[in-house]
Amino acid sequence: MKALILKDTYVIWRQMKYFLVMILLFSALPSGFNNAFAVIYAAMMPYTALAYDERSKWDQMAAMMPYSARDVVLGKYVFGWLCIGAAAVLSGLLQAVLSLVIHRAFLPSVIALSVLGALCILAITLPLMFRMGVEKGRLAMFLIIFLVCGGAGAIASIAESMGGGTAFAFQGPILAAMLIAAVVLNVVSIPLSQKFYQRRQS
Amino acid sequence: MNAIELSHINKSFGDFAIRDLNLTVPSGTICGLVGENGAGKSTTIRLLMGALRPDSGTASVLGTDVSSPEFREVKEDVGVVLDEAYFPESLNAVQVGKIMAATYRRWDQKLYDGYLKRFDLPPSKQFKDFSRGMRMKLAIAVALSHQPKLLVLDEATAGLDPIVRDEVLDIFNEFTREEDHSILISSHILSDLEKLCDYIAFIHQGNLLFCEEKDRLLEEYGIFTDSAEQLECLLPEAIVAREPNGYGGVRALIRRDLAPAGFQLEKPSVEDIVLFLVKGAKTR
Repeated sequence: MKALILKDTYVIWRQMKYFLVMILLFSALPSGFNNAFAVIYAAMMPYTALAYDERSKWDQMAAMMPYSARDVVLGKYVFGWLCIGAAAVLSGLLQAVLSLVIHRAFLPSVIALSVLGALCILAITLPLMFRMGVEKGRLAMFLIIFLVCGGAGAIASIAESMGGGTAFAFQGPILAAMLIAAVVLNVVSIPLSQKFYQRRQS
Repeated sequence: MNAIELSHINKSFGDFAIRDLNLTVPSGTICGLVGENGAGKSTTIRLLMGALRPDSGTASVLGTDVSSPEFREVKEDVGVVLDEAYFPESLNAVQVGKIMAATYRRWDQKLYDGYLKRFDLPPSKQFKDFSRGMRMKLAIAVALSHQPKLLVLDEATAGLDPIVRDEVLDIFNEFTREEDHSILISSHILSDLEKLCDYIAFIHQGNLLFCEEKDRLLEEYGIFTDSAEQLECLLPEAIVAREPNGYGGVRALIRRDLAPAGFQLEKPSVEDIVLFLVKGAKTR
């Protein structure tokens, strides 16, 4: 699996700088929606890697190598988790710096919410990609991303307006619910993706 | 031990099917898989590597059933070159090496670097800028650099210039100097197979028509080139296939054991035998 994550990293390395600019740009913009999008955007990295795989027919090659279907599928999830984690750290650092420099509200809970939203998106959309392929799955992915971003952004905006820049009263239950949703969705999603991947291969 | 054993394999795709495929490649030998486009060569390779599940039948490679979980370990011992090198196009040869080092436990980086030099492959040029020949050379370098016991090569020499092709065939020959090393190679370049192989397997429309020792195959058949009248002297069963020779006579593939002693026959090439069978020029 390490080899596959390394492969995905090399494959999107050139795109990475554009992703980085987007993440930093959206993190710097003053809106909960934009800040959420900065992290959620990173959840798209595995689709870019999958698109490259499809274009080069890498799966045919991978099927000849000592990778299991589990390695291939789980590799994409882990790659996505790593990208989301890295985007959250970068976005958090930038927002923290901005809060010190221009005294803008810094809400780590928004970042946490974005991370959990991104994990949910990954869990919902990756099985679609493995089932339908990147081309067909992309439309569904954008729809889901838009809904989750909108939802997370709305919650973040409510949080800002209610708390006047401080943490709002019910952030704990929302975060807990999102955490449970992210865990449950990923636990269900991984075997489902594996099943779809194996079906497409045979 | 047999390197490859396919037993009564059936696989249907609707308009195409592999039917009752039985193929055995003894350890230490080179088997050439021959057949026209769409005959089922690549499907056979995918079946024997466990990338496709057969509808029925069993496949084993290096003594392990390809449908068993243990086959994943066995893949460490199998170097595969497909008809195209399907590496993501933004990678370069160095990155491919690093990925393979993390893939194969017995990856030999020095050997890989040696092949890159030998094949004159640029280390940092992106794969998308490689010519077809360069792509195939990279795939061959990868297949050879993890110390495999079996090479499975699907049109691996296609797109290589004659000089490099010859060098690659020498490398394959070197590979089988180890007595437990085997090769299954499919190719349209039948002269390559004639030069390299101990066995020839011929697949036609999803059916394996024969898998025989090359020398025996060449002894079994002869080429007749003369008048149609003289050909009619032979038993109909002796004439495998025939075609006009372009000079008013006929050219035919003849079974030597059914031809009368002393009947003048030329030695065929593997290409002659295969072409006669594929063309279906049999007009008895």
